[in-house]
Formats: sequence, structure tokens, C-alpha cells
Amino acid sequence: MTSYLDPSPTSGLTGPPLSLDELAARVTERFPEVTTDLAFGELTVHAAPEQLVELLAFCRDDEELSCALLSDLSGVHWPAGDHVIERQASTTGWPEYRVSREDGVIEVIYVVRSVQRNHRFRISVAASDEDPRLPSVTEVYPTANYHEREVYDFFGVVFDGHPDLTRILMPDDWLGHPHRKDYPIGGIDIPYKNDKFIPPPQERDLREVID
Amino acid sequence: MVANPGTEPSLSDDALELFVEGADWEAVVDAVEDETISINMGPQHPSTHGVLRLVLELDGETVTKLTPIIGYLHTGIEKNAEVRTWVQGTTFFTRMDYLAPLFNETAYCLGVEKLLDVEVPERAQAVRVILMEFNRIASHLVWLATGGMELGSTTMMVFGFREREHILDLFESQSGLRMNHAYIRPGGLAQDVTDDFVERCEALLELLPRKLAEYEDLLKRNPIWNDRLRDVGHLDADTALAHGVTGPLLRAAGVPWDLRKAEPYSGYEQYEFDVPTETAADCYARFLLRIEEIRQSMRIIRQAIDALPGGPVMVADKHIAWPSQQALGVDGIGNDPEYIRHIMGESMEALINHFKLTTQGFTVPAGQVYVPVESPRGELGYAITSTGTNKPYRVHVREPSFVNLQAADTMSRGHMVSDVVVVVASLDPVMGGVDR
Repeated sequence: MTSYLDPSPTSGLTGPPLSLDELAARVTERFPEVTTDLAFGELTVHAAPEQLVELLAFCRDDEELSCALLSDLSGVHWPAGDHVIERQASTTGWPEYRVSREDGVIEVIYVVRSVQRNHRFRISVAASDEDPRLPSVTEVYPTANYHEREVYDFFGVVFDGHPDLTRILMPDDWLGHPHRKDYPIGGIDIPYKNDKFIPPPQERDLREVID
Repeated sequence: MVANPGTEPSLSDDALELFVEGADWEAVVDAVEDETISINMGPQHPSTHGVLRLVLELDGETVTKLTPIIGYLHTGIEKNAEVRTWVQGTTFFTRMDYLAPLFNETAYCLGVEKLLDVEVPERAQAVRVILMEFNRIASHLVWLATGGMELGSTTMMVFGFREREHILDLFESQSGLRMNHAYIRPGGLAQDVTDDFVERCEALLELLPRKLAEYEDLLKRNPIWNDRLRDVGHLDADTALAHGVTGPLLRAAGVPWDLRKAEPYSGYEQYEFDVPTETAADCYARFLLRIEEIRQSMRIIRQAIDALPGGPVMVADKHIAWPSQQALGVDGIGNDPEYIRHIMGESMEALINHFKLTTQGFTVPAGQVYVPVESPRGELGYAITSTGTNKPYRVHVREPSFVNLQAADTMSRGHMVSDVVVVVASLDPVMGGVDR
């Protein structure tokens, strides 16, 4: 590695990066309930929603971890049942991925990163897709503001404690949360097709189309 | 007294709403007790880099709050990618941040390659680096050009776009398109570079330093440029990190954070370059920093073209790579007669493979990865989820423009309205990336 990565006052790094195993050990030492998994050279910590804020605050404040930057926050919807929706015969002989879930969840993934020590890992929490609620982490990481609004917009996850949880990318009068896998795509009728008069949004009968 | 006699303004007890319709302005001002005025800037405003709408709360001329309102350019690219094959995804993601298309392509392809566990040939990696660095220069030039234009320097605008066009000519000669190339594909490149590629790069490397000196002559000691940029839009390192701000803004606050050094990809560890930093953390520091970044990019390109390796530009696995080697002529991409003869006349299996690859694409092992690259605006990350099918299950893009925009409020408070233009320009948001 280059000299840039050596801890020194000019490089901005305060210490050597922790390896993935050390990161996992450090987190599980403080939070024994979490589970960790290692795949594709990336560490994922699976945590419960109740401990999320405390866990992220620990990642930010702990001297060993010192993850001052929340790099990313995103959602994935795993509906109940078989979530490999369109299965194709494998051309490469890789095993097919087929996990059945009894309850549908929306997985929200936080990528925390240490700029001071140059390491990063992922924290994954799951919320039920029936009534998804998670605590907001904007108090710990202000950057989560837009990200949480985006996840709310796309998946309908309500972040309790968020200062301004409104739609961010979709129009304000949009119905439904388009990144959910149960959101209909390609089949939405346009209510005002061929009409001379386009009704204002509140008079459009979109609810029927979505439901 | 105040306008709008035709309709009844909704007046609540604590808020007085005034509608100004050419009435006597003095009467309007006299009626105002709380002098906070909310005004809309954009979405159609020449200084908002596309369709960014800013709601400003003003106390006189001073900004007390800035609320960016975004989403006007939302095209649902992430959702669209879920019903397209892995290769088709490139065509979509390149259209996000349209000033840095090659970074989007590379980051996406690095993610797919990580899931596939394939090693991209060295030549493809080197070409990716060269094109990305040229793209960084082009992006910074547009920043300089539009930033200059917003401050009244139309000369800078013409200069910046002029040199950028030369770089886009290079992209066009290699990929066929000025922008939105879809040239970088999972596994390598769409096709090999042309014979005159190195020559063209050399010509640009000869041209750009001269032009860069011209820009500096024009701007560095220009009193207007200095007055407008210095001590405006201050953002220190801690605040930047709290807001998730990365890239030139973080480096202008003194943090030498660059993913090309921190998490090298595409062979960046082979090249010698510096991570420039500034300490002033204002708009002028960002200007100096971006100029220096252009120099460092040229340094990387110089090393990369000097050591450009030969060999293939696509992985050998015919289950992933496009099997034919199509000719690239002056009129675009042509056929590969040898390959057509092979699939039509010799091998049934090759024809089947071709048919499957073109219609359903390849499958990618299940898993989740997060792959960041250092784009001209900061950390551009692709969080890709695969379930082992021929289409992505979910692709989320961590767009630096989107995240950085959150700091606009902090940076503009206490400044004049005219400084908001400078602050937004120094953030360099690209609305195609913000809204995706």
C-alpha cells in the first residue's frame, strides 16, 4: 500500500484500518445479539430495529471504529413467499438462489465508513412490509435525512423521529411506493387518456388503479 | 391596501399572507411585521444546474434557510434496471449523472464483476482509468464553465465548453457517443480502442495544460472572481462528514479522502498521483482544488497511456462476454463476418449461446455488494442485490450530488441571495444524478 494509507497527521488517518474480522468482533463485543456475515469481501451486521440508533451511535463514537461517515442507506423489498420472481435457466451453472420467507420484509442497509481509519461495513435491519417502521438515525448522522426520505418514498418505511419525512423524488401526490415488489409495473391505466379534460390530481381515480 | 382583491387569501392568526400584484410597494412593506420572505429560486433558473428548485427564506437580503426541492428529473432508472438484463443496465446507469457517465458505468460494472467474481483484463482496466480521468477533467471543465457563467464570466463558459468538446470527441471516437456511452460493460469494454487512441490522448495532454494556464490567468487574480468566491460557502470537515459530503468539498476542507487511494479499483494503485487538499474550505478553495485535480488526472493519464498493456479488453468467458469481435469503422460498429460464418455455418452450440446471451443475458450469483468509486463529485456507490437471475433484483445508487445537496442549507445561511448561486455552483450538483 502507498504511504497515503499510513497513519500520519498529513494523511488524515488516525490509525490502521480494522480487518473485517476485527470489525465484527468489535461490534459483537458491545452488541452480543447481532449476527454478522461475510460475503464478497464485505461485512454485514444484522441488527434488530430497537438497537439501531444505539448501534450506529456506537459506530460513530467508538475510537476503534470511528465511522464518522454514513456512506449509504438503501432499501430492498423481500416480499413473503418465493422472492425469485422471474427464474431463468442458468446459463453458467451457478446454483439458483431461492429463499422463501413467511413474512415479507423491507431490508434497510446502512453503509458506515471510517474516513479516519479507512474501513467500512454494512448494517442491515429488517422491517415488516405490512407496516414498516424504523427509528430515524438523523440524530446520529444528519446525512440520513435525504436517504430516509428516499426509502420512505420508494418503500413506504416510516422513520420515527425524522424531522421532515416527505416524498423526495416522486411527486407529492403519488400513490403507492414504487420500489416495492408488489407495486404494479407496466399495467397502470392512465385515467385521463383520450379525455379532453385532464382532471386535477385530487380528482383522479388513481387509488383504484393502484389497489 | 394589498393586492389580490379578487380572491380571499387564507389568513391564519399568526401568519399574514401578502400577495403582490403591482400595488404600491411601500404599502406592502409597511404591512409586514415579520420581515422573513420566502422566495422560490428555480426550478427553471439558469444557475440551478438543471431543474433544482430552492426555497429561500430571506431576512432582507440575507438567507436564513434554504430548502432544496428535487425530483423534477426523476426517471426511475433504478426501478427500470430491475426489468432489464445485467448488460442492459449499463445503458440506464450511464444516463444518471450525465457529466460523469463513465464513472456510473464503471461503478456498476465493478459491482457486477464483484458478484460474478471475474477479473477484468489489464488493458480494459487501463482504458477505463484513462477514460474516467478524461471524464473527470471534462466534468470539472463544465463545472468551471457553468460556474463562470453564473458569475458573469461568459468567456470562461466558452473556454470550458470548448476544451470539454475536445474530450468528448475522444469519447465519441471510441464509443460512438459524446455522452451516455454504455462503453464499459460487465467484464470489460464494448470494443477495443481504435488505433489512434494513444495519439488522440497525447494530443489532449498536450493541449490541456496550456488551456489550464489560460483559465488560471483569467480567473486567479480576477477581482470579481476573488470577491465572489472567497469566504463564501464555508463547510468545515466535521460538518461535511456529518452531511455525508465527499469529494472535492471534503478535500477542500483539508481531509485527503480519495477512494482511488483508499480503496483502489481498476488498477489505480499502480499510478502515482497526489490527493490535493485545501484548508480554506470556501468556494475559492474548491476552485483551486478542482484545477489541481485536473492536473493530477492528466498525470494519471500520462502514466496509463505510457504503460497501456496489450491483450483482450473483455473477459474470456463466452458466457459473459459478447462473443463476436465487431469491427469499428468510421460509420460505426460493423459486423464480424468470421463470427457470423461460425455461428451460422459451423457450430449449433455457438448459435444457441449467442441466442441466449442476446435474449436473456447471463445470470449473476446471488448476493449483495456495495461498490464505491471516486466520481468528480465524491463517493459514487452502487449497492447491487442479485438473486441469481439474469436481472438485478435491486440496484441502489449512492449519488454524490444527491447527498452533497443536503449541505447547501448550512453553506448558504447568513449569506446574500447572490451567494447562493456561488454555493450551489461550488457543490456542483448534476440533477440527472440527484433525481436519477
